[in-house]
Amino acid sequence: MVAYTRKDVSTLTRGERRRFVGALLEVKRRGEYDEFVRTHIEYYVSDGEKGLRTAHMAPSFLPWHRRFLLDLEEALQRVDPSVTLPYWDWTRDRTTAGAPWSEDLLGGTGRPFDQRVMTGPFAYDNGEWIIRESVTDGDFLTRDLGRRREPLSLPTRQDLDAALADPVYDVSPWNSTSAKGFRNKLEGWGSGRGPGSWRNHNRVHRWVGGHMVGGASVNDPVFWLHHAFVDLCWSRWQQRHGAGARYLPARPPRVGDAQRGQVVARHETLPPWDLTPDQLEDHSGVYRYA
Amino acid sequence: MFVSREPQGPEGPRACSGTRRDALRALCVSALALAVVPVVAAAWPRHERGGDEAPTFDETYQGRRLRGMKADAGGADHLDHMAQALRAPLQGQWHVTVDGRPLHLMRRADGTYLSMVDHYRSYPTALEAARAAVDELGPGRRLTVAGGEGGRGGVHA
Repeated sequence: MVAYTRKDVSTLTRGERRRFVGALLEVKRRGEYDEFVRTHIEYYVSDGEKGLRTAHMAPSFLPWHRRFLLDLEEALQRVDPSVTLPYWDWTRDRTTAGAPWSEDLLGGTGRPFDQRVMTGPFAYDNGEWIIRESVTDGDFLTRDLGRRREPLSLPTRQDLDAALADPVYDVSPWNSTSAKGFRNKLEGWGSGRGPGSWRNHNRVHRWVGGHMVGGASVNDPVFWLHHAFVDLCWSRWQQRHGAGARYLPARPPRVGDAQRGQVVARHETLPPWDLTPDQLEDHSGVYRYA
Repeated sequence: MFVSREPQGPEGPRACSGTRRDALRALCVSALALAVVPVVAAAWPRHERGGDEAPTFDETYQGRRLRGMKADAGGADHLDHMAQALRAPLQGQWHVTVDGRPLHLMRRADGTYLSMVDHYRSYPTALEAARAAVDELGPGRRLTVAGGEGGRGGVHA
């Protein structure tokens, strides 16, 4: 199989945008999309709780979302084989008028009163994007781009570079308090208060607002564009640091380590799939980024 | 490479954290408990604003009623009794409501809290996480009756 290409969302042709949106709406119509929303809610296990963490606050944040994106991409391709996931480089495409938010792609921000998205294919009035799995009781998609009440900016090139520069994939205790390591710097959990305490990936969820900042963030299709860029950053980090830049931990934490049984090591199975992080480290045979 | 089974739907078996499942089930229970809350409400100890370390809070913030109780807080006897009857949550877990609707909080390893409304940063106390959730909701949005777990509890948007 020839690897397919994931493109920068700002380079999509009008036809590519139309086919991507069309495939998303069809996956939603088939009832498959809401299962992705539920899966993400279910696998969001916080690190102050007991149990295996796979999707967040854990080393497997990156491979978990890589496989999650592939599942969605396969669902889209069952509808239209020409479709691939675009990515949103939020270090370059930084405004509410940026490429993701165009009328023929994801539409714009929500209205002030209830954050309801009013434009584009995912606006409630089109009747094709009814929210069924949510923390809030409206069945419309919500956004608050840039956070009007308390504005914040998207992460900068420098913010992202600070993560990419770390040569170690992840460090003990392998959670949201790991002060070093590429994974947590990219995922974006900091300590203390204020804007410095949420970075990169987390900060982008916050900048989009509405559904994207809550547990049901997958309801906003920008979730996939955001995470495709996060996935690209993992590849970039591997290229930058060479063959030694491997997923960690290589082996499960020792007996007596509080993280034993709570994180997935390189050769352990990553639920809900029968795959290991090791098997997900190299995507070059499946897709590449342009 | 990358060959895997699909994630399975609710009807299929799933290799998933039992803790999370339990937490979701617990949410349904707390929704049930809240349905009978008027009887119990008077027994909740009141605490002044700013009592962030207190095991309970009850305040109006941005026009919303915020109430919270830590599971191991020593409440009135009949409340303890009811909590046990409804399968008591884990020690240290908070039950928080906004206008009577459950707001599920999660704990971070550093002891801070995040809510289902605001999932990508955390707050030093449960009360601050609840206030931040109200800020995030704004004037025009409410929590679902089922709390934070979406469709698993059978209550849809």
